[in-house]
Amino acid sequence: MDHVALGRWGEETACSYLHKKGWNILDRNVYFPRGELDIVAMDKDELVVVEVRTRSLGYLMSPEESVGPVKTRRLVYAGSCYVEKVDWNGFWRIDLLGITCHKDDSYSIEHFKDITNGMSFL
Amino acid sequence: MIPIYGITLQGVQALKVEVEVEITGGLFFIAVVGLPDAAVRESRERVRAALRSLLIPVRGRVTVNLAPADSPKEGALLDLPIALGIAQKLGVISLNKPALFVGELALDGRLRKTRGVVPAAFLARKLKIPLFVPQENAFEVSLVPDVEAYAVSSLQQLFDHIKGRTLLSPLRKEILPSENIVADPDLADIKGQSGAKRALEIAAAGHHNLILVGSPGSGKTMLARAIRGILPPLSQEELLESLQVHSTAKLDFQATLQPPFYTVHPTASIVAICGGGSALRPGEISLAHRGVLFLDEFTEFRRDLLEALRQPLEDGKIVVSRAAGRVVFPCRVLLIAACNPCPCGWDGDMVEQCICSAYEKERYRKRISGPILDRIDLHVSVPRLLPKELISFENQRVESSKVVRKRVCMARERQRKRWGKYGFHCNAELPERFIKRSLQLSRDVRSFLIQMSDRLRLSGRGISRVLKVSRTIADLAGSSEVEVSHVAEALAYRKGSVSL
Repeated sequence: MDHVALGRWGEETACSYLHKKGWNILDRNVYFPRGELDIVAMDKDELVVVEVRTRSLGYLMSPEESVGPVKTRRLVYAGSCYVEKVDWNGFWRIDLLGITCHKDDSYSIEHFKDITNGMSFL
Repeated sequence: MIPIYGITLQGVQALKVEVEVEITGGLFFIAVVGLPDAAVRESRERVRAALRSLLIPVRGRVTVNLAPADSPKEGALLDLPIALGIAQKLGVISLNKPALFVGELALDGRLRKTRGVVPAAFLARKLKIPLFVPQENAFEVSLVPDVEAYAVSSLQQLFDHIKGRTLLSPLRKEILPSENIVADPDLADIKGQSGAKRALEIAAAGHHNLILVGSPGSGKTMLARAIRGILPPLSQEELLESLQVHSTAKLDFQATLQPPFYTVHPTASIVAICGGGSALRPGEISLAHRGVLFLDEFTEFRRDLLEALRQPLEDGKIVVSRAAGRVVFPCRVLLIAACNPCPCGWDGDMVEQCICSAYEKERYRKRISGPILDRIDLHVSVPRLLPKELISFENQRVESSKVVRKRVCMARERQRKRWGKYGFHCNAELPERFIKRSLQLSRDVRSFLIQMSDRLRLSGRGISRVLKVSRTIADLAGSSEVEVSHVAEALAYRKGSVSL
């Protein structure tokens, strides 16, 4: 599997994971001039921008490490654009889903909620 | 919605700060406005963690406004009111009457000790609203009368109180017991030096400034330290003034009735002694308020530092004006200075020869200006005792600090009774005009004073200072009138009686 296909597979996996959690998927792969959003979903009354990171075993960096300040800033920017676009006035946050594939075709999902956690990135 | 109040410090005064909170939708972020300093701005991290630890989720854009918006806010003591403001906005709690909150939050919601609780207690008393302080600050606050204060150990405990689940009981008013003061060193341990001991007694009784001049090893420092054992305990009012300064300046201090005693090293800066800095903190002279400021090796201090002490020594308060603002600190201190008579230190010694040239002595003398010496009432020479004298004194009975202290306390009591109604605590504190009016001098004393001040060429301030010291000597003697002998003794301590 090349990395694009792996990424696509990761997003599918994430969607079904979120669906199982009872979240309502609003949008997928939204593009903005300075960033893109993988999944936009509703967690009860809160809009959540979900960034999916898929890694097959052997990568040096864990999914949570691969989202640095630059990527976070892009996500905050794109998220704000999205919120503006759909005219959402409520709370929203950014989550990270880290999916790691293992050798035996199994995978594990780690869910990091609210990765900005009150820090200013803009 | 009932307003939530915190405080910020302006000098030794607390300024009421109203904490307003607005929460709107958006990405989670806490913005603090209203001129917060770094510690206040960082409070959002502590507040967020503390609220989360109580399982209170904070979401959206949180704007915290600290009013009045144009005066700078400093310190971590605004953590608690900010946390309460957010909790109230989220509907977790609802205050039923305005109150003052002071406290620094730990990440797990505990409350930490802060500076400034005593000024906060004064403010709460003035506004007639309850005050909530960290448990660790409870003792200081309980010493302030007429305040409805509560000690809180964690945010959860405070929420339970506000929700009416488990009510806190107000702090009981404490009164410090006048503990037995251990004199270290005791006057009885100091051999000879009866003149200097008498001067210490007068200084302690009337809170007069004192300078000790003597060769190395003559016991100047020991004598100065011995004053701790004979100073009268602070009155309730004085204790509160001292607490107020200590509470603004420090986190750990012991509240005692023993007057403060601060020794300053000659390398100290003007700001360290007089107060100031970016946050306008009180200096050593204000920490020593109602107590003793001891400047050992007086001649080694920088000249500008000593000159800066002129006005505070006279007025008992110091005005610090900086870009950050203008504050007044109290500094009614008993200044004890100690120095050698000349650079080599042996001038006037009975055994050693002084090797200083006239020029060197002149230069040495010039390090201390006349105006400073004029503000010191008691000039005392501390001669070095010869070895055989030291040994011969061995079996002599000397008064212990305890006996002297009793006399000093009685003299101070007399002063308090006499001047208390005018708002003064001791003779040294009296303003110049006041003393001339209120001391009814007999004709004998008057003519003696005129004659002597003419001969000693006393300044106007000199005369009134002599009168104050005479009054103290009369108080020590238990006399209601100032007599010629009292004035004569006071004059003996004037400038010029010591070679410096």
